[in-house]
Amino acid sequence: MSGVVVAETMRRHLTSIAFWSFLALLAIFAMGGGNMGGGRMWPMLVLALAVVTGGGVIGPEFSSGTLQLILVKPVNRAVYLLSRVAGVVAITWLAAVAAAGFEAAGAALDGRTQWTAIGIALSSSFADSLLIVALLAFFGSVTRAYYNVVIWVGAQLLLLILLAFGARRFPPELLKAIRWVHGNLFPETPSGFDRNWLLLVACNAAIALLLACLAFRNREVPYGAD
Amino acid sequence: MTIEVRGLRKAFTGNEVLRGVELDVAPGEVVGLIGPNGAGKTTLMSCLLGFLHPNAGTITIDGRANDDLDVRRRTGFVPERMNFGRRETGWDFLRYMARLAGVPRAQVDSRSKALLERLGIAQAADRRLSQYSRGMLQRIGMCQALIHEPQFIFLDEPTSGLDPNGVLLVRELIAEQTRRGAAVLLNSHQLAEIEKVCDRVLFLKGGVIAHRETLRHADRIVVAVTLLANSFDAAAVERIAGVAPKENVLIADVATENDIATLVRNLVESGAGVIDVRRHTADLESIFRGAA
Repeated sequence: MSGVVVAETMRRHLTSIAFWSFLALLAIFAMGGGNMGGGRMWPMLVLALAVVTGGGVIGPEFSSGTLQLILVKPVNRAVYLLSRVAGVVAITWLAAVAAAGFEAAGAALDGRTQWTAIGIALSSSFADSLLIVALLAFFGSVTRAYYNVVIWVGAQLLLLILLAFGARRFPPELLKAIRWVHGNLFPETPSGFDRNWLLLVACNAAIALLLACLAFRNREVPYGAD
Repeated sequence: MTIEVRGLRKAFTGNEVLRGVELDVAPGEVVGLIGPNGAGKTTLMSCLLGFLHPNAGTITIDGRANDDLDVRRRTGFVPERMNFGRRETGWDFLRYMARLAGVPRAQVDSRSKALLERLGIAQAADRRLSQYSRGMLQRIGMCQALIHEPQFIFLDEPTSGLDPNGVLLVRELIAEQTRRGAAVLLNSHQLAEIEKVCDRVLFLKGGVIAHRETLRHADRIVVAVTLLANSFDAAAVERIAGVAPKENVLIADVATENDIATLVRNLVESGAGVIDVRRHTADLESIFRGAA
């Protein structure tokens, strides 16, 4: 891991007005969401942040030609990719922690405590956002700017359509395979703490990152890639 | 040799762009790469820098593979067009590049400041790159390429978009790099610039080095002495210079600059009228036209 790349990735987000505006929005949702039961509102926003920040891990740099300036530097390609992912995940987790803090503060002001619910929402957000960023990094390592987000959204829709359409038409084995792919790429967040689910997500994220590193290591980066 | 390329081939979906390129760049040498559009110059540069993977052939830099991290630590690159996060300020950009290049943290600011001042953009360091002109981006591109004092420097049209002062500055910087022993490969369409800066020039055509020309020799100086017509005896001039003049121009090799003065004095003493004396370089425009 390159500390320089992680720090730079985080610095770019932390100096962005958009990020702080998003945090303000997150604070409003988190403090207000306390009335609906712990961790109901903000995790969706944290995942949206993971999609937006994860979408820009490699793709935009590839398309703009920035990557060429980076690749001549003494940083291993895989290390660079993983460091970018780490920076983005750290920013997303930071937002999740802030949201959990805001919710806890809101609940405390209201005289309630919902530490367990907030803790479960926080751990689920950590796992979900890690998997999202890892998948986007993988898709981004083989495509151009923001195509990774299109693939990510498109794959979800396609799998859901296939599951709905094929419920009575597809052979059970095929349906089972589609469910398995969907369950691994886009696992449904459990309502309670589920260690097996966390392990599944962590393993899938690790596989996505491994594939991303392999693809990125061999990828050609011609001048003016777009 | 510092940069060594042997039998380099690269094809894109069946279209072979490089067909066995061979080249060497020695320490302290500036080699120019010229050729018509579509000749494969950019592809060659991309292969050398590891952006593209060759189909065949070898690229070694200081005896190692071009993607070796130790080689990268000593490599500088200026792209034709600088692209970076346009929200970044010049400072942020340069600091990041310096840290990535392995410049010790304690030296990052001082080196950045010195280079920004040298390139004449210190006053714009706190401005965002989106507010930089093309020439300023080119200048900061030079800064990021030189901040870690690289040994292998790849310049792709480094003077494009620069004003005359900027062009002179880049010329000075290249000369400084070669004096400290760096090997420089310069890709440019500006033949006059190549003539002024490069020791050798490679003409790339059809994916191969079609022509090589030495512009400056390490061990001798080639001078062109223009003589006043009918003022000299060709045989006497040949005895003095070792070569006969062609029409009224004498192209002669001398060892040092003092020898130029001696040659001119001897010619004048023999009765020849000397109109002009200048360093002789190949006429790249003619070579380009002829070879293209």
